[in-house]
Amino acid sequence: MTDTPAEKPVSGMSFEEAMAALEQVVGQLERGDVALEASIALYERGAALKAHCEAKLKDAEEKVELIRAAEGSAIGTTPVEGM
Amino acid sequence: MVLVLTHDDCLSHVTPPGHPEQVARLEAVERGLRGLPMTRGAAAMGDVADVLRCHPQRYVDRLRAAVPDEGWAQVDGDTFLSPGSFDAAMRGVGGICQAVDHVMTDGGRAFVAARPPGHHAERDTAMGFCLFGTVAIGAMRALEVHGLSRVAVLDFDVHHGNGTQDLLWDEARVRFVSSHQMPLYPGSGHRDERGAHGQITNLPLAGGSGGAQMWAAWQPVLDDLRRWQPELIMISAGFDAHRDDPLAGLTWTTADFARLTRAICELADECCAGRVVSSLEGGYDLEALAASVAAHVTELGRQAA
Repeated sequence: MTDTPAEKPVSGMSFEEAMAALEQVVGQLERGDVALEASIALYERGAALKAHCEAKLKDAEEKVELIRAAEGSAIGTTPVEGM
Repeated sequence: MVLVLTHDDCLSHVTPPGHPEQVARLEAVERGLRGLPMTRGAAAMGDVADVLRCHPQRYVDRLRAAVPDEGWAQVDGDTFLSPGSFDAAMRGVGGICQAVDHVMTDGGRAFVAARPPGHHAERDTAMGFCLFGTVAIGAMRALEVHGLSRVAVLDFDVHHGNGTQDLLWDEARVRFVSSHQMPLYPGSGHRDERGAHGQITNLPLAGGSGGAQMWAAWQPVLDDLRRWQPELIMISAGFDAHRDDPLAGLTWTTADFARLTRAICELADECCAGRVVSSLEGGYDLEALAASVAAHVTELGRQAA
């Protein structure tokens, strides 16, 4: 069985940490340097990392939207609909 | 009537406690087969001459020498030998060759219920629970002994058939098709792995995907094979793409295995007098395995319309 270092819980990771861990997981799976029996567990960790990254990105997008909306109202413009 | 071959020696390949490729799998297969219309037979002991079309003699010798007198010898992270493992694997070889001879002589279809599985075994490397590349060995026998020039090997196990691909990479007379979850063990099976003659087709499937994606991948390939007119179709029948399987993340159902098997049989009916030889590969949820094998063998047993 392939040894895996003690793993940090996905929920506690920053976006950068989760992306780095995800890249490592995908690399391991693609190189085939993980046993058949452990492969699905690693895949599942990859899926959790991907979901975490997506959630972090969505958070960031929402913040950007809020900032945009705030800036827009500050300089007296209104968002254009239908663009 | 479908011929089903197995042997008690295949119960003597014993893996360590907790190992998913366990003796109970074959017992589950037997439960699935119970009551189905079929002819039963005992798988013959394999002939090393058949193995040598795919693996070098030194590999056979090395494997035989590695078999322990008791307990286990570990070949890789996943693959273990018990005292009965060599004979079990040789029953798989004998069974597939016997099945090929049967359908080439008498027509019809055959299913070989043997373990260990075979499709991860490369020319010089046992891996992923597999010792000999049984389905490739059967295909080579069909070419060399029966004089065929077009054999299709279709692998729907959830893991890429890297061993079969390795053994048949240079073989222009065999079209090899594998569908598999990606990324997953063993990491190979990308679309751009095409074989020395462009005769290999890899169909990577996304984790979580199910019957619709399976069909979208396989249907055009089966249509393409119809134009190629195979003289024999062989199947690496792994049932670990099932939604309940603990080693993978696809969501096929028993009905999906039935649908794909039926489509393969229809292709065989059109191209090669219905000749299909299928061989058990993976499938690690015992209930799902029993039900899926039952569906698979039921479809194999259906008469051509």
